[in-house]
Amino acid sequence: MGNLTKEQIQDRIREEAKKALATGEVSCVVGWTKTRFPDKTKPFFAYTDAECDLLVWNEYCINSTAKYALDDRYPEQKIGLITRGCDSRALNRMLKDNQLKRENLYIIGVVCDGKENPVCDGCQHKNPLTYDVLIGEPVEETINEKRFTEVEAFEKLSADEKYEYWAKQYDKCIHCYACRNACPACNCVECYADQYRVGWQGKAADREQNQVYGLTRVFHVGDRCIECGECERVCPMHLPIMRQTKKMLKDINDLFGNYECGLPDDSKPVLGEYKLEDPDEFM
Amino acid sequence: MYLAKKDLEKALQTLSQKAVVFAPILETIEDKVSDAKTVEKKFMPYFDGAEVALEGFNTVKPPKDVLFPNVEKMYKYKTGAGAYIMELLPEDSQKIIFGIRPCDMRSIDSMDKVFLTKDYVDSYYAKRRENVTIVAFGCLEPSRTCFCDSMGLDPNQAPTADLMMNVAADSEFTICNDCGTKVLTDDGKYILTPQTEKGKALLEQLKELLSDGGESYQDTKCSLHIVKAENLDEKLSKMFEHPIWEKVTKGCIGCGTCTFVCPTCYCFDIDNENHGAEGCKYRCWDSCMFSDYTRMAGGANPRPTKKERLRNRYLHKLEFFNERYGETLCVGCGRCIESCPAHLDISDFIEKASLVEIDASDYSEANYSEGRM
Amino acid sequence: MAIDHECSCNKNPLVPSLCQVIDVKQETGDVQTYTIQTMDGKKPFSPLPGQLAMVSLLGVGEAMFSITAQGEDYIQCAIKRTGLLTEAFHEMLPGQVIGVRGPYGNSFPVDDIKGKELLFIGGGIGIAPVRSLIRYCLEHREDFGHMDILYGARSKSDICFKEDCLENWSKEPDTNVYITTDISTEDWDGHVGFVPSYLEELGFQPEGKKVILCGPPIMIKLCSESLIKMGFAKEAVITTLEMRMKCGIGKCGRCNIGSKYVCLDGPVFTLAELDELPDEK
Repeated sequence: MGNLTKEQIQDRIREEAKKALATGEVSCVVGWTKTRFPDKTKPFFAYTDAECDLLVWNEYCINSTAKYALDDRYPEQKIGLITRGCDSRALNRMLKDNQLKRENLYIIGVVCDGKENPVCDGCQHKNPLTYDVLIGEPVEETINEKRFTEVEAFEKLSADEKYEYWAKQYDKCIHCYACRNACPACNCVECYADQYRVGWQGKAADREQNQVYGLTRVFHVGDRCIECGECERVCPMHLPIMRQTKKMLKDINDLFGNYECGLPDDSKPVLGEYKLEDPDEFM
Repeated sequence: MYLAKKDLEKALQTLSQKAVVFAPILETIEDKVSDAKTVEKKFMPYFDGAEVALEGFNTVKPPKDVLFPNVEKMYKYKTGAGAYIMELLPEDSQKIIFGIRPCDMRSIDSMDKVFLTKDYVDSYYAKRRENVTIVAFGCLEPSRTCFCDSMGLDPNQAPTADLMMNVAADSEFTICNDCGTKVLTDDGKYILTPQTEKGKALLEQLKELLSDGGESYQDTKCSLHIVKAENLDEKLSKMFEHPIWEKVTKGCIGCGTCTFVCPTCYCFDIDNENHGAEGCKYRCWDSCMFSDYTRMAGGANPRPTKKERLRNRYLHKLEFFNERYGETLCVGCGRCIESCPAHLDISDFIEKASLVEIDASDYSEANYSEGRM
Repeated sequence: MAIDHECSCNKNPLVPSLCQVIDVKQETGDVQTYTIQTMDGKKPFSPLPGQLAMVSLLGVGEAMFSITAQGEDYIQCAIKRTGLLTEAFHEMLPGQVIGVRGPYGNSFPVDDIKGKELLFIGGGIGIAPVRSLIRYCLEHREDFGHMDILYGARSKSDICFKEDCLENWSKEPDTNVYITTDISTEDWDGHVGFVPSYLEELGFQPEGKKVILCGPPIMIKLCSESLIKMGFAKEAVITTLEMRMKCGIGKCGRCNIGSKYVCLDGPVFTLAELDELPDEK
């Protein structure tokens, strides 16, 4: 977090949130506030100065703020978002997917030093990549040497071992769609799984239907996953969902070269565009 | 009567001879590539060698699926020539739910009201219910989200269970290495109190393991005490358009977690599974948090956004069910608080709804966050 | 625990009985009426006017429809094509085997309206439930006073139950029929205009009169406002609600409005009763 203490960042967040509301262009600022449990914060929407004073910044600010921007795709006023590196990549994801318009967002970036969330250990972008105002001095970015270590180890298991592992996991799944609803890459206006009348996805929470859902989602978000880990964090049954998305990303890295999503560049999802030089050995 | 902790396994083995015994059991999924094994405590049929964990925190999922399975086949059918419809009722097998907590027992009372009263008896639920005997276990250590006593329950007593089980007051404890909760030592004793004929029959089966005595038990209090207005249901009935709804529903991400971990959520969907001309009709749990739950064929939806959906869920728990069945549908088990991805907290809502003015024109968290800071 | 097995239906209420469609009648471009019998040629059950039937096309799905008419050995449902299931219904030919369970819901309060003058207002497919009551009243004509029937459809070809609306009902004793269409077409020389404005134009007297009002939500809303303006009490206006339903017996949860379930406590409510419910209709 560079040069500022947690308290200083929290003060600056409140100050910037108030400033944003005072311009009259921003309707509310989405950040975090305390709950009755000291190790939990919750997403919070500040509409007034008094509410801005309830915004907090601590190691438990783990929920992504970005996806709330989708609640109002055509807002009358800008939506203010307290944005960490992961949130900014989530916003870039949704901007690139044409789900949001940049001019509808007011982004208060905060340099983040990681939260009480296992996924933060592998974070490669502690600095927000997109913002209107930045709180804190940018820190040097790190490369996560262990990005695919676990996936590589898992790949070495036999097919039966892998199936047994995932079958047990999907027996736990309760089909609640928390992973989808928390995922910034899951931004379809109507999810295929909600099109019950078409019958893509059965509603019963049994192993078969849970697997159909889990695998379809992983393939659907495969080349657009920003590795924020929200899917795994929100899962009430603790399924290791990131292991699947990481496998997709690893294969993409192997096939198409170094690849990362949610960066503020013009790159397109690799599976969504065709290039002559794309690998085609399988054909 | 006393049952020594060291005889618990024998007791479960004895009961398993005549019925399938669903008990809170720790299930471990080993991960061969990391040391991150996952352990889930869940109600499942007892087997020799099962790691039964009566004490400790309650299970992530309630045992409601013993009576109301997540997926239940209702009838099978054939279309075209030789068309038929054949009812599929659950088997006539005896089951025991062993070690249910008072909050979850009270939830079954609510489900009984839904499925067995008001003109229609649900044949599937009735069949399962008749064949189930319930042994409740008074909480030893509530988790931090437990607030059942604020909802009018007693964490030590489940009056409608067939058999009540408590930890004897003079028992000793150790602390579990994995979860940090209190566990009875092998010298510890449970007090068994039958509350129905079915309960007496169970005791009879266990008589060789029991010894006389058992008056005073460990008295447990909930961890979370909340402010709740005396007649919250009546107050909420005048708050359908209150500005609080807009604000408290903002953080919801619209998943079904709260409804699927809730012991009292009973809503279901009905769908088909076809194999050629044959198929079966099944019902499965549904969630009022999902957008298609109330969406009609033409596309109209009386509850179009998360505000209307979460409002309906909270009001169903705290007002509508009271009006229809005379009791609150939230039992204070705290599961949804622990599991909600957005950290929404129904106990927090109950407090705020209890404190706000009915005809307030505006609602701000800033006015009701005292004590949270 | 002892379970009281007294169920209103004396059997598993969620399992349909096999029935057959013995006649399909094309009412309009997107509405068909199905005449339904048990496999051995009997009436599936005897519904009260306004009650509902859960009709299923095995392997496709199941939905709740109002029962628009009944006879000695049949019931009839009129179904509008709106989604996948109803599209499949519209493929049915006589002889099709279907599943039927019911009857569900409360019914029009026939005892309350006895001896009263009646004003029936229907719009579009909303005439389907109203027709069950009109038929009941005509069968027991001496129990009821003067009857007015006001029905609106988009155009002449969209008028459901054309024989009843355009010929039969107006020949009944002490019965007036007013038909209006939203748009003017060459084949139509009757009234053109929306139901609420025609209603105000006709200007019925509220004294001693009960109103039965069914149609699309916007029509119900506007007609209710007109009726109240005309002096009708909210207790005197009876309407029906539509919600997504699955079980039909008040268990599965989704059709609630406040603490009432439309499938069980409805679909028939007076405006006064609706006022007591949350505004989520």
